[in-house]
Amino acid sequence: MSDDARTRILAATVVCLGRYGIAKTTVDDAAREAGLARATVYRHFPDGKEQLIAEAISWAVSQFFAELAEAVDDAPDFPTLLERALVHAHQAVEEHVVLQKILQTEPERLLPQLSQSSKEVQEALRDYLADRLRSERLLPGVEPVPAGDWLARMGLSFILAGGRWDLSDPRQVRSLVRDELLVSILPAGVREA
Amino acid sequence: MVSRSSALQVVDLDQPGASTDAEQRILDAAVVLVARWGVTKTALGDIAKEAGCSRATLYRSFPGGKRHLLLAVADRELQAAIAALVDAVATADDLEDALTRALVVSARLLRDHDAAQFILEHEPGLLLPFLGFHQVDRLYRRTAQVFGPHLERFLPADRAEWAAEWTARVFISFIFNPREDLDLISIDDARSLVEGFVIPAFVPMDCQPLSTTRLLHPPTT
Repeated sequence: MSDDARTRILAATVVCLGRYGIAKTTVDDAAREAGLARATVYRHFPDGKEQLIAEAISWAVSQFFAELAEAVDDAPDFPTLLERALVHAHQAVEEHVVLQKILQTEPERLLPQLSQSSKEVQEALRDYLADRLRSERLLPGVEPVPAGDWLARMGLSFILAGGRWDLSDPRQVRSLVRDELLVSILPAGVREA
Repeated sequence: MVSRSSALQVVDLDQPGASTDAEQRILDAAVVLVARWGVTKTALGDIAKEAGCSRATLYRSFPGGKRHLLLAVADRELQAAIAALVDAVATADDLEDALTRALVVSARLLRDHDAAQFILEHEPGLLLPFLGFHQVDRLYRRTAQVFGPHLERFLPADRAEWAAEWTARVFISFIFNPREDLDLISIDDARSLVEGFVIPAFVPMDCQPLSTTRLLHPPTT
């Protein structure tokens, strides 16, 4: 029950961030949106607004990646998994109403918050990818953890900014994944299956 | 190769950059003060005092005020970094050597730049206009345009630009997410990344027709 209330408060805070922004969202807004008493919010987040917003953003980030993992989980092979992850994540960033709103209005408040999560995200992605790589036939000399770390970094880099690659074009994503990112990791036969 | 007024054009100067000795002294002073107090707490009056000039002189040189002055600082420092990087890449033996040098020199320049270190550590929000989601695209594009030509000794032009962009991505990733067991200021560490993960995607020049890109014609193995 308590976990429920906590999640409800975090989700409500994210809604408020989309509506009022980081600077203007208050503990009262979050309590009202969650349908809970102010005191309940303070019980879960005793340090008040700053703690609430930091935890709401880090919760939203983990939600984002949980949904991403779910979206790609049934991929038949590793290259397809990576392709789907890039396409899905790119689209999810573009369509993330709260993220886009804050990027437009308060980018300078968002970056410090996101960089708090960035180590955690990088490590979680690395472990997830390394785990998947353990059941793949890797090129000689390739170890799952450094390869997972590398792919997590490059994946995040492309999710944040596509550069010369149009991540809404499946053909380009296929080329990026199979002809570039995985060349050093998987044998040609696996990449082109 | 590098145009004087651009510095990757990630900073948008609507006024011409500094050129006179007095202006250079003002920029030097700003770098010293930002390294000590950060951007937010550095006031124009302090910069004038540190540079040994009057506020009037400072405003004559930088009529756009603090923002103008700080963008001129960023532009000059980037310009210097680009020149050092171009030198390092120009003397490389092969592609692996070139990309390794680019990473090591970038990492060392950043480590030794006290003002940049202060901002990274204490005022990262200020970097968002240059490194945020869509803005960093501009940095990658400019890196590809500025450094791509220097890699054309080893690769066709399109692949050379992509190699430059990729290396920039590696660098940015390691600035914001350092790895405890790997430091880009170490030549061996940087080389292990380049050799292990980047180079395999770049087949030697004589194996690939110059006019085709892999995107349009994915190689068949």
